Amino acid sequence: MAILEVSNLKKNFGNLEVLKGIDFSLEKGESLAMIGASGSGKTTLLRCLNFLERPTSGQIRVNDKVVFDGADARTLSEAEIRKNRLHFGLVFQSFNLFPQYTVLKNCTLAKELMAKERPDFRANKKQILDEIKTEGEAVLASVGLQEKMDYYPHQLSGGQQQRVAIARALMLQPDILCFDEPTSALDPELTGEVLKVIRGLADKKTTMVIVTHEMQFARDVSDKVLFLDKGMVAEYGSPEQVFEHPKEERTRQFLERYFEQ
Amino acid sequence: MLGANPIESLTSGFLLNLELFVVTLLLALPLGLIITFCSMSRFKPLKWITKVFIWVIRGTPLMLQLSVVLYAPGLLFGIPMSSRFTAAVIAFVINYAAYFSEIYRGGIESISVGQYEAGKVLGMTRSQIFFKVVLLQVVKRIVPPMSNEIITLTKDTALARVIGIGEIIMSAERFTKMGLIWPLFSTALYFLVFVGILSLLFGWIEKKMDYFRV
Amino acid sequence: MKKFIAMALFSAMCVTSLAGCGNSNGTNGSGDASAEGGTQAAASDESDWADISAKGEMTIGMTLFAPMNYYDEDNNFVGFDTELAQAVGEKLGIDINFVEINWDSKEIELNSKNIDCIWNGMCSTAERQETMTLSEPYLYNTQAMVMKADREDEIMQSVDGLTVTAEKGSTGEGKLQGTIADDDTVEVSAQEYFANANYVASDSMAKALMEVKAGTADVALVDSVAAYGMVGPDTDYSDMVINVDNNFGLQEYVIGFRKGSDLEEHVSAAIDELYADGTVAQLAEKYNLSDLLIENDAAATEAAPEAATGDTAAEAATAVE
Repeated sequence: MAILEVSNLKKNFGNLEVLKGIDFSLEKGESLAMIGASGSGKTTLLRCLNFLERPTSGQIRVNDKVVFDGADARTLSEAEIRKNRLHFGLVFQSFNLFPQYTVLKNCTLAKELMAKERPDFRANKKQILDEIKTEGEAVLASVGLQEKMDYYPHQLSGGQQQRVAIARALMLQPDILCFDEPTSALDPELTGEVLKVIRGLADKKTTMVIVTHEMQFARDVSDKVLFLDKGMVAEYGSPEQVFEHPKEERTRQFLERYFEQ
Repeated sequence: MLGANPIESLTSGFLLNLELFVVTLLLALPLGLIITFCSMSRFKPLKWITKVFIWVIRGTPLMLQLSVVLYAPGLLFGIPMSSRFTAAVIAFVINYAAYFSEIYRGGIESISVGQYEAGKVLGMTRSQIFFKVVLLQVVKRIVPPMSNEIITLTKDTALARVIGIGEIIMSAERFTKMGLIWPLFSTALYFLVFVGILSLLFGWIEKKMDYFRV
Repeated sequence: MKKFIAMALFSAMCVTSLAGCGNSNGTNGSGDASAEGGTQAAASDESDWADISAKGEMTIGMTLFAPMNYYDEDNNFVGFDTELAQAVGEKLGIDINFVEINWDSKEIELNSKNIDCIWNGMCSTAERQETMTLSEPYLYNTQAMVMKADREDEIMQSVDGLTVTAEKGSTGEGKLQGTIADDDTVEVSAQEYFANANYVASDSMAKALMEVKAGTADVALVDSVAAYGMVGPDTDYSDMVINVDNNFGLQEYVIGFRKGSDLEEHVSAAIDELYADGTVAQLAEKYNLSDLLIENDAAATEAAPEAATGDTAAEAATAVE
């Protein structure tokens, strides 16, 4: 059963049609690489999945449950959006860590705030916060930054900051973890450590949607590749299919241009 | 011909400046935040009314506003303002809240949209994002301009003399009228010392928030 | 928010009326006159005296200056006007509340009912007769030249090319600029005397003297009564002198009430009684103002013309020291 199903998703900014009806689905444990020229709509698609943009129409289902339906989009309350959004995690291109908090606190803050809404929070406050802290330490260890947990973001390199951002997103155990060009803001020598972490997540069968310009990485890591062109899915299939035997001429052209550089 | 001891007189005058300073700060700091929210409201009429209000308050002299607050109730409704100090407080609070609100707004708008989005995708509510993520960053950003404004307030309190508040300059001018000049110029010392203390305090706050960068 | 808007609109109004008040040159714009007329009409509808006697308190607007209203060495609030007002309060059975005001705002203070009268050595002028109800005059005042003692001879010879200063809106300024017409008490026209001098306005009479002290002006033209309160051996102006050789005319000190206020009758009646029982004369003597005192119409009519001669007043002013 597909964990994520997107059907006929459209997004307009005023008169500009950015997404012109996107359909795709993703199985649990798969990682999807989304590629395409800038302006093709791939970041917008990712932001729609995370409810940072509200799609104009279409449907998004997670585990067969409708989390967004353009037909009754107006009925979605702020609280519902907040709840549905938690199916997805998002790692930003520019990290967006909270500068005033330590690395550990960056990871645990959201979970602590959620715990406060639990009815038993007052009674078991210390125990709950300790558990969250232990989780935070574990997730930081998984991205290799356990010894940096008391540092502040500005004391870390870009690659380390992005690894913290990944740990922060993992803390909430999203069904689908999204990446928006996670290495584009990094110096070339720092991309490796971040890609390594993402590769590790793929090996652990984390369901992921990765918008990326790193073609080699997309090819090696992903189970599916989606090539987006002018707001439409131009090609969707396994990496072999898309990279070796593209059905569409425009895919071929895009890849050629890319690999020439 | 000389009345009370000039030093005593200046000191008690300056206590009035300080009282006005403290009360204005206590009320204008939170009121400014409310005005900021109104001016950034998505409800357009509220937003525009607030913008006009800020325009009027920043666009007219504080000296004139003091006169309006003191005299308007009596002139318009025949009910004179009961206390001059209250009138001064009202005028100062409104004036400074308008300026503070613009500094706050600048601070809030300078926070990158990414911080809000990061909070959103982590499932935070709007108020959690504001108080847990944005606020401290805003505070760090606005400390320098707020220091400036608060130091200006210290000296602006002397304007209260136009509505007959016996603050330090007015106290000093009593002596000028009796042929003593030095008290007027010695008032500078009071302001210098107080602003010196404020500057140290703001420096300390800035240092306190040095541990992170925005 | 609505209140804020109302206040904002009002501030625009206030600019006009403040400008009207500051304008002491007698050129009342029609706009100002109608605005003032409106508030005054409202004031005269009711009885000031009824309000004040009900409250048991009259608020007097004043500025501190010796010998009219000031603090003595023991920090007691004294002065000729202070004590006279307190005596009036006793006669009327009400408390007297003195409020220090900004002199530039005295008309608006009155009209907004923040004060009930101005009683502070205020000269009677044509403009004030229009905008306020004035009491009978009770003291004479003259205009005195104040300058550095070591330049007195030079300055008294000629003021041509020198800089003269006076308080903005004061009688001195009015005389210098000819906006206050010379009457029959004038022996020397200030406007002609200072025709070839440069005029600079000061914020207050105290600032006018500071101009002279600092050398930014050569001579100040100020109320003689006020000048004697400021210049003296134990002041910073001990190196300055007051010269009243030129009689620029006599002014009369009056009490100002809201236009049409019935408070004036009650205060004047009380003052008449105080003239009759000798209190006024005693106070004048206490503050060395006897020779400047204007006799009460009701009490003695023949004394007035005598005191009205410039020389007597000038000598009297010198005696104040």
